Amino acid sequence: MKPVSILERVAPFAILLAALAVALATTNRAGEAQAPQPAQPAAGSGRAAAPVDLTGNWVAVITEDWQNRMVTPPRGDYESLPLTVEARKVADAWDVAKDEAAGLQCKPFGVGNIMRQPTRLRISWQDDQTLKIETDAGMQTRLLRFDKSAQASGEKTWQGNSIAEWETPGRGRAFFAGGGDLGRRSRGWQPRGGSLRVTTTNFREGYLRKNGVPYSENATVVEYFDLVPPLPNGEVWLVVATTVTDPRYLTEPFLTSSNFKKEPNGSKWNPTPCRTDAPLKGR
Amino acid sequence: MSRWGVIRLLVLLVVLLVPLRVSAQVNLSGDWSPRQHEDQPDRGPGPELGDYTGMPITDGARLYGDSWDASRLTIPEHQCKVHGSPYIYRGPLQVRIWEEKNLRTQEVVAIKHYISTYEQSRTIWMDGRPHPPEFAPHTWQGFSTGRWSGDILTVTTTHIKSEWFRRNGIPYSDRTTLIEHYIRHGDVMSHVTIATDPVNLTEPYIKSQEFVINPRPQGNWLWPCEYVEEVDRSKDEVPHYLPGQNSFVFEFAARHGIPVEATRGGAETMYPEYMKRLRTLATRDGAAK
Repeated sequence: MKPVSILERVAPFAILLAALAVALATTNRAGEAQAPQPAQPAAGSGRAAAPVDLTGNWVAVITEDWQNRMVTPPRGDYESLPLTVEARKVADAWDVAKDEAAGLQCKPFGVGNIMRQPTRLRISWQDDQTLKIETDAGMQTRLLRFDKSAQASGEKTWQGNSIAEWETPGRGRAFFAGGGDLGRRSRGWQPRGGSLRVTTTNFREGYLRKNGVPYSENATVVEYFDLVPPLPNGEVWLVVATTVTDPRYLTEPFLTSSNFKKEPNGSKWNPTPCRTDAPLKGR
Repeated sequence: MSRWGVIRLLVLLVVLLVPLRVSAQVNLSGDWSPRQHEDQPDRGPGPELGDYTGMPITDGARLYGDSWDASRLTIPEHQCKVHGSPYIYRGPLQVRIWEEKNLRTQEVVAIKHYISTYEQSRTIWMDGRPHPPEFAPHTWQGFSTGRWSGDILTVTTTHIKSEWFRRNGIPYSDRTTLIEHYIRHGDVMSHVTIATDPVNLTEPYIKSQEFVINPRPQGNWLWPCEYVEEVDRSKDEVPHYLPGQNSFVFEFAARHGIPVEATRGGAETMYPEYMKRLRTLATRDGAAK
């Protein structure tokens, strides 16, 4: 009988181990993308490629800019905003009653400010290529389309035309550099994660703040939706970082980040039409 | 299978299955400058006295804020008191971030921060070491460990010395745990802080701020601080207000027309449904006038 070396003995086990690892990794990745979805999404769609699950009910938690978000600041209060001279003139001429009379109550609820509103979000897949965000404040609907060929319709809307794409850590790089999904799970790490990048154009002119600080219809809004790892108490948070660039009204990109906490259900969903209260006090 | 074939297979398996951790998911290194497009009055000149809006504070924290006297900062022991990790990134600062690597393995051992305000340094340990025992000393920046979740760096900090959440006296205790998320997208980094404090908070307190990479990092990176006797007072005197005696905390409400109840903070002021309460309070206050 031919003598068998140790290497030859372990080879079958090593091959088995490798096959098992590949199978496990494949199973885990598929589970991340598919678990929250009730139906099998079409291969290659935005829904199938989702590295994180953004769907569900979320509430804006207003710990920042409280005086600009929970109440209407006085006319002419545009502190900290990088405005052009023209923008200041427009803001100084703001009149909430005129907006109402002209049917423009939704100007502060446009895409440039909607995520800053004290609102709840309901995020769901409208179809495999469209993620839908509804707000109860102002009863707005945003459609984030993963089909880049989707052309904007001629008519500008408050929420504009949004093109979405997932940004994920390089799969190969993550596998080698961080131990990959398999390595991370073995240490109790989170899945590999990823961001949703949304670019929005073709929208109506609106307000960056409730008190008439304008953004123009030539502006561009770029957002990143990031789901951060859950807190030890189980809370799940969504961070939406927004950059508004506007050659007409802004001297530099306007950066904010808005924080949303996940809610177990939609019991607090309270749709209200666009409404801006008059400032509590002028300056 | 030949001996060399088996060796090659084993080498391949080692490469595939053993986590090398030779680099971080995304590199945060660089000099970063803040953009104060949010909360600028709070972060720049400083908040007004009695502005506790949007803060999930306990009654005790509110009382502490009411008792706090800004003149306390004139006491020599407080003049150079630094901002701790739950607050320091909110101010007008510059941050330098770099990685410290094990030269032999090139593993990231720690991510370091140098913060211009008060010339503070932080070490975020990435090597999996545990946090020290509860009785270990507390410092302004605390003890931090980090780990990657995808491209998000999550940092947990404990052993922090008590200081303030807001520069008008609202405190955090030395039992605070701070969780931070560093999220980089191109030249912009979002820094998210979530503090839990069983003494002063009823709910986790979240804040987020934006930084932009600064390829020409000029400006002030130093913070020389030397204390002097600013006020002639007894050595055992600490400026303060006894409960109910600080009338200044209501000036904020009067100046902005915000109902006093709302300015007193509490978790309910953070949520959209509080707008309904605000309208009720504003109507009541208007009628009272």
